[in-house]
Amino acid sequence: MKEQQLAKAVENKRRRSRLSREIGRHRSIYLLALLPMIYYIIFKYVPIWNAQIAFKDFRAVQGVVGSPWIGFANFKEFFDSFFFWSLIRNTVMYSVGKLLISLPLSIILAIAIYECTRPILRKVVQTLAYLPHFLSWVIMYGILLTLLAPGDGVFNDIVKLFGGTPIDFLSNTKAFPWVVLFSDAWKEMGWSAIIFIAALMGIDVSLFEAAMVEGASSWQRVRYITLPSILPVIVTVLILKLGTILDAGFNQIFMLYSPQVYAVADIIDTWVYRQGLLEFKFGLATAVGLFKGVFGMFLVLFANWISKKATDSALF
Amino acid sequence: MKKSLRFAAVLLLAALIVAPAFAAGGAETSRQAAGTPEDPVTIELWFGAAITEAGMIPDDWVGYDIIRNELGIDLKLTMLPSSESDQDQKIQAAGAGNVLPDIFMVRRPVLVNLVNQGLVAQVDDCFEKMPNRTALIYDADAIGNATIDGHVYGFASPGAIVRNEGLLVRKDWLDNLGLDIPTTTDELMEVLRAFTFNDPDGNGKNDTYGYGAFIETDANLKGYPGSRLWPIMGAFGVEGLWCFDAPNAGLNIYKPEFFDFMVFLKNMCDEGVIDPNWLSYKKDDFRAAWKQGRFGVMYEQNAAYASQANYAPFDSIFPDGEWVIIDAITGPEGHASIGAFDMNYRIYAVSQRAADAGKLDKICELLEWMSSDEGYYLLGWGQEGINYVFDENGVPVAGDLGDAAFTGADGQVYTQLRNMVFYNSDVELSSRYPTYICEVSGKEMSALRALREMQGMKWTNAIGSSTLPTPSADVQRYYDQSLAEFLSGAKALTQENWDAFIEQFNAVGGAAWNEEGVAALEASGLIRE
Repeated sequence: MKEQQLAKAVENKRRRSRLSREIGRHRSIYLLALLPMIYYIIFKYVPIWNAQIAFKDFRAVQGVVGSPWIGFANFKEFFDSFFFWSLIRNTVMYSVGKLLISLPLSIILAIAIYECTRPILRKVVQTLAYLPHFLSWVIMYGILLTLLAPGDGVFNDIVKLFGGTPIDFLSNTKAFPWVVLFSDAWKEMGWSAIIFIAALMGIDVSLFEAAMVEGASSWQRVRYITLPSILPVIVTVLILKLGTILDAGFNQIFMLYSPQVYAVADIIDTWVYRQGLLEFKFGLATAVGLFKGVFGMFLVLFANWISKKATDSALF
Repeated sequence: MKKSLRFAAVLLLAALIVAPAFAAGGAETSRQAAGTPEDPVTIELWFGAAITEAGMIPDDWVGYDIIRNELGIDLKLTMLPSSESDQDQKIQAAGAGNVLPDIFMVRRPVLVNLVNQGLVAQVDDCFEKMPNRTALIYDADAIGNATIDGHVYGFASPGAIVRNEGLLVRKDWLDNLGLDIPTTTDELMEVLRAFTFNDPDGNGKNDTYGYGAFIETDANLKGYPGSRLWPIMGAFGVEGLWCFDAPNAGLNIYKPEFFDFMVFLKNMCDEGVIDPNWLSYKKDDFRAAWKQGRFGVMYEQNAAYASQANYAPFDSIFPDGEWVIIDAITGPEGHASIGAFDMNYRIYAVSQRAADAGKLDKICELLEWMSSDEGYYLLGWGQEGINYVFDENGVPVAGDLGDAAFTGADGQVYTQLRNMVFYNSDVELSSRYPTYICEVSGKEMSALRALREMQGMKWTNAIGSSTLPTPSADVQRYYDQSLAEFLSGAKALTQENWDAFIEQFNAVGGAAWNEEGVAALEASGLIRE
């Protein structure tokens, strides 16, 4: 018995020294990982403690711990909202819509930039595509108003030139969702394409050379080499995006929406801003945040499982 | 994989164990300072800047030394964001963390939230400690504005001047078309049609509209579609969110005349006599539009219309252009009003933390000093001879002090705290709104003259609106969204649909909001017989 314990202790010591040797050997990598880990601990894990106010009638003076428990009352207030289903519908509509429009456009842009054989043109297009990402939604609103205003917007000037009736894109319930989806695609397409360009850079060039020798056309090279090669990255991006399916882009909607389009514009986050933050209902705001987080986590797990079954490619 | 999961679980557990220490924040040291120049009391003040785009008061401001040497206070200043919603957010976030500053500017709806949380100190006994300031600034209405459940929770000082907006018409367009100033809703409609379809500026292009507006609302006084439509709402007797007159006291939306107003406004939209951008405009877009000559009738604030900087772009494009301020338009039932007015107050509240730390007396001392001659001129205009000089009437003016003057690029930052001392005295108004000659047209203009004209028009007294209850976000959304849908045509504006809207509005919570408001009106004795 003693011998066994001794052997186990020796084995543990050997394992520990192997671990410290490993850490020592890759210390630069561990050091690099340290900063993001500290960030995640401070800004992502520590705040989990405060998530308990989702179940409390939060009183600032009494603090997080001292505030009285109220069970699921905050969640009930959210679910009982007169506009609950409208909020869920709008949020999912924009999230899924952005996924369906922005993701393919980003992939197409990445492939187009990768396939472009003129370096100067490629750099110009790449820079112009990234540029809108750095503009705030306040600036974007000004640009959109200039383009889309019914009175003197550039787009409506063209419509009027051909005898059409101007459309108030920003206050028309049918047009507004498209403005949101396409303005988001315009703003973020270039930035989102970076990860796909990086993936494309990793493809073995000899595959393309062999395909060209075999007489494959450009489209065939994209279809049979490029797309399958970046499929794991596409799946990863898709799974990660599913985790934030209930985040439809607060800044964008908040800048663009108005009472005329509340019916198709009000999303969970704008509702929480008005009902939760501006009315000092931090418990309600936290409850909704928690709901979104848990929902998103299950979606990620589910999507990962489906992906593993269907394509054998998954995040974890 | 199992190892990674175990590692992650351990990490999460460790984080949760240490979380309370981080989340609760560090312990505070609470040594009581003597309040002398050598050992000053620190007072943290979050203020609303007078000129938000001008930036923060510099560290070398002479006021810091004066306040330290004379009052024994080490003043720490923080400028609040310019937008009200950003201000609310910043203050409520500080409230949630129980880290409110010692004294801070706050809007009444937010103050009510903070009071409910026990975060704000009662200041009922403070006024006698500030006799000079109280006599100048804190009258009964002001104190009432910061009173909640019988106790005073802040120092309310006069904010923007009341009745400082007016209905303006392009006189040059009227003259070009041979039209008179409209006095009734029918005449107004004729003018709007002519301004839209008869090329009032004579440029041969179909590029003008009758009325210009944007949505400017709040939850107390300016219900949807907002104050920029008030002269038209006034013609139907439904200006303002609340009606103070018996027997209709309550939300104006319940009055049958509100439906008539909606029909009139919808007609304006359908005929195209209102700038179609009005639903999309923000305030700056609207202001850029009238300066570019897009419409000929609008509701605008005196300084936004007539101050030198604001009028200059219009003057340079239209040197022959002329706006005139006109009186309220009379509606079919004889109603007429330019709009509803409430007293505007800026409330400065003291946090309970500051009171618990024994800082209330020092805060009173600071506020009283601000209203002394020394504090008033220093905070209002800067240093005499450097930032301002007195003219022959005793009014502080810029003189030839250039950029260092209180109106100049360098000097204006020293007046960022002026709203804490100003109370709209004649000296202030004369100094703020000087008469000037337009650079291009050579016209004489004065925002003060415009103000006096606007104040002389027919207004509706709605004093007390800011103390009335605000609706929940769902009720507010239903109210705004439904009216907007009627105007945009998404919902047909028929009597049947209107009745259905009112019924649903009541069910969502509108009836409860109205009852609460009427009870508040009755309790405050605000209902007029």
